[in-house]
Amino acid sequence: MRMKAFLAGAAGAAFLAGAAYAETIRIGASLPITGGLSVSGEKHKRGYELCNKLINEKGGLLGKQVELIVSDNRSDPATAINQYERFINVDKVDAVYGTFSSRLTFPVGNVLSKYNMVHPIPSGGALRIYTQGHKNLFYFQVNAAEYTGKDVVAVIKEQIAADQAPKSVAVVHADDFFANAIAAGLLGQKVIDPANDKEVADLSPGYLADAGIKIVMEEKWPEEGFNDWLNLANSIKRSGAEMIIGLTASAEEAVQLTRALKTVGAAPKLVYLSQGAQTEFIDGVGKESAEGVLIHTTWHKDVNFEGTLAGKPFNNADFVAAFEKEYGLEPDEDSAIPFAVCQGIEQAIIGAGSTDNAKMGEWLNARTKDDPVRTVLGRFSWDDVGLPEDKRHIMTQWQGGEMKFVYPTGEFEGVVQLAYPKAGF
Amino acid sequence: MAQFIQVLILGLALGGVIALMGSGLSLVFGVMRIVNLAHPSLIIAGAYVAYWAFKLWGIDPIVMLPIAALILAGIGVLLYRLMFEQEAKSARYSEMTVLLTFALAMMVEGLLGAFFTNTQRVTSPDYATDAFFISDIFIPKGQLYAGIVSLVIIGGLALFLKYSRMGYAIRATTQNRDAAELLGVNVNLVSVVAFAIGIGLAGAAGALVSFVFSFFPAKQWEWIAMLMSVVVLGGMGSILGTVVAAFSLSVIAAFVGTWVGATWSTMTFFLALFVILLIRPEGLFGEKPEMA
Repeated sequence: MRMKAFLAGAAGAAFLAGAAYAETIRIGASLPITGGLSVSGEKHKRGYELCNKLINEKGGLLGKQVELIVSDNRSDPATAINQYERFINVDKVDAVYGTFSSRLTFPVGNVLSKYNMVHPIPSGGALRIYTQGHKNLFYFQVNAAEYTGKDVVAVIKEQIAADQAPKSVAVVHADDFFANAIAAGLLGQKVIDPANDKEVADLSPGYLADAGIKIVMEEKWPEEGFNDWLNLANSIKRSGAEMIIGLTASAEEAVQLTRALKTVGAAPKLVYLSQGAQTEFIDGVGKESAEGVLIHTTWHKDVNFEGTLAGKPFNNADFVAAFEKEYGLEPDEDSAIPFAVCQGIEQAIIGAGSTDNAKMGEWLNARTKDDPVRTVLGRFSWDDVGLPEDKRHIMTQWQGGEMKFVYPTGEFEGVVQLAYPKAGF
Repeated sequence: MAQFIQVLILGLALGGVIALMGSGLSLVFGVMRIVNLAHPSLIIAGAYVAYWAFKLWGIDPIVMLPIAALILAGIGVLLYRLMFEQEAKSARYSEMTVLLTFALAMMVEGLLGAFFTNTQRVTSPDYATDAFFISDIFIPKGQLYAGIVSLVIIGGLALFLKYSRMGYAIRATTQNRDAAELLGVNVNLVSVVAFAIGIGLAGAAGALVSFVFSFFPAKQWEWIAMLMSVVVLGGMGSILGTVVAAFSLSVIAAFVGTWVGATWSTMTFFLALFVILLIRPEGLFGEKPEMA
């Protein structure tokens, strides 16, 4: 009798749980909340959670509340893969949000492709991710990381007189998916697919050579565990380079490198870092050292990007206000990008009229420049491999303790003149 | 030549800090056979103490060092009582402590993340990014001060171990726990004190690390491998060995980083660990384990 009652209860609970699932739309996201990528992972979580909360406050999606399931992958690719498998096979999610970093996105792409899921990618810019033949990849930044150098060089060409421009450069970078990808474009290297050793792209001669800037030093440091920043900074200083390019995999590395350059008394004319738009950067290095440092970004709080949420306008300024209200601090791009991913998936579900991933993918693939996805990062439509069309990086520069944007000129209000040359650290 | 001297200085400066980071780990293993994988997470806890004291009240991290050490030593006493005391006589104690301290490391990381978020931090007194310049050579003030303070602390620890009654007891317990107990040493008290000192050293190292490296809770996983390399090379339990290994590996890594490539400098530590385990598992200054 007891067994019967137990079984009946279990069946009832399962039925109710199933009914509860049906009442909600479940979305899974595996993020590096702990481990080496935790600084950005935590911020991505905030971006996803805020967007989810706002959608639910505005009545949900297709009349249902949205349930966000976030799992900590500990910055470990194998764990990230397992978690997406679990989202799909155990949690029965309706959709997923992508994870942080190229290192985690690359292997996760195979899993999501296997199950024909729409894979919106917040942070995974390495070109190799998009050449695996996966369908329904949608990158929510500007372009593959290999092409970032184009915008860096454009700033130099547009904002510095030719006779004043830096003539030599030291390129130092993390031995990391993302940093290696930017370096490949700047240095003119070939991009090789690690799965089959096939050439994905030949980027020679490279953006720096194109711009007539001589590479006097190239060095990379290991992905994890590197502590010898002063030694590296000393080598950079001794190279005599007029420009320093530091392709760091995280804001933490950007802080370490900048502090080391200050300590050794380096005095380049221009410094470009791949990370450093985050608030931690200015906190870590101070206003004086940050002054004049150039950083590429996808987002800036003052750019008037026009997005939507729940079918109504929800612009960048709305996002900044909502974020400050929710968390009591200013957002940076590591929260804005996942917010945009969430907006994109929300629009795809509404556009498809269901959470059928095939239909969502069709809808996203059908976006055009005139009929795009609208987010706090601006408009998105994608090419056939999932890279955004017709977008450029926002090149920002720390000036007087604030991030100003110096490029692209003529596209947004508020673009300021590049501060050049940099006056020490 | 200037370049050679410069690299040597940078290696030595880094070695001082790493020596202090590793000495607590070595002491705790030497006395209690605890392989404390949570040591770096406790260093980070000490770094947070120094960071917030500087951020909120402008207290210099070197001034804050004794307080960070005391706070962490207190935590050490609690941890020992709660986690290790009961199992101290177990035949598989060392193996068990690997698992216990691994769990502790994850818990500490979680707690630090919950309290302080995963945002990276670094303490920024003026000297942290300043240097003495002598012609073409520079000596980074932050690492120099941290290295000097580290050596003073390690020197004080060596004097304490050599000349104080508790020091005698700790050394006796390190050499042979059972014999020390038979001779009337209160090995349980000695273990508590040694563990507290070891964790206190983590707190002290944390205060110095807070302005030498940036840190966040998960940073511990990067440091544990480096510290284990230093401690194993020096000989588990040997403070002198830890100091020699820290300076040696830091200097070698600095030269490798300069003339071979930065990618390989970190590898120096792991290569040393691999080689020493193959040819001299007891390390440079460690004792050969007795055969069963």
